[in-house]
Amino acid sequence: MPTELRLVVKSELGLHARPAAAFVQAAARFSARVEVHNLTTGKGPASARSLLALLSLGVRQGHEVRLVAEGEQESEAVLALAELLGGKDAELEKGLDQFQGAGA
Amino acid sequence: MVGIVIVSHSGKIAGGIKDLIEQLTQGRVRVEVAAGAVDGSLGTDATAITAAIQRADTGEGVAVLMDLGSAVLSAETALDLLPLEARKRALLCDAPLVEGAVAAGVEASLGSDLAAVRQAAEMSRSLTKLGG
Repeated sequence: MPTELRLVVKSELGLHARPAAAFVQAAARFSARVEVHNLTTGKGPASARSLLALLSLGVRQGHEVRLVAEGEQESEAVLALAELLGGKDAELEKGLDQFQGAGA
Repeated sequence: MVGIVIVSHSGKIAGGIKDLIEQLTQGRVRVEVAAGAVDGSLGTDATAITAAIQRADTGEGVAVLMDLGSAVLSAETALDLLPLEARKRALLCDAPLVEGAVAAGVEASLGSDLAAVRQAAEMSRSLTKLGG
C-alpha cells in the first residue's frame, strides 16, 4: 500500500528552481519512488527525482499537492519532502502509522 | 559523477549557467566552460571544448550542452578531437542551454549515469513555463 499525503504548499517560493533542486536531492536519498501531483492545476504525476518534471507542475504557494510514495521508507520520504514544501500542518490521509499514533 | 560542459558563444552566458548549477548542487558537480572564440570575441572553439570535456571527465562521462548554431558544429568537432576512450564517454545533449544544463547538473548530482543525465537535459525540450 503506497503512502500518500496531501498538503497545501506553504513555502513562499512554491516549487521553483532552487527549492525544486533541493526537493530532487532530498527525494534521491530514499529508495522509495515518489510521485507528485498538483491537485490545484491538475498536473502530474511527476517523479520527485526529476527537476524538470517538478517544474512542469507549476507548484506555487497555496497550491494543494499530493505526494505518493511506494517502496522502502515511503513514509519517511513523504514526510521529508512535505517538510520542504512547508507542509508541517499536513493532513495525513493514510498509511502513516507513526503519525496516526502520535496524533491520537 | 558525470561532468557537465557548457559551450556558449559568450563567456558570460556560460559562466552564469555554471554559477547556477553550482549553487543548485552545492558545488558537487564538476562544471567546465568552453566559451568564446580563440581571440576572445563571441564564438566557439573546438579545441577549447575538447579541453573542457577532458577537464570535466572523472571517468563517468561528460554531458555537453551547447547554445546555438556554430556551437553545435564546434562541439561535434570537439568530440572528434578527443582520444577514443574519452570520446565514448562524452555525449552532446539536444536541449535548450539553460534549462538543459540545470536539469543535467541536478541529475548528475544524484549520481545518475550519463544516459540518465542526457535524458534529464533533453526533457527540457517539452518544458512549458507559463502553465500552458
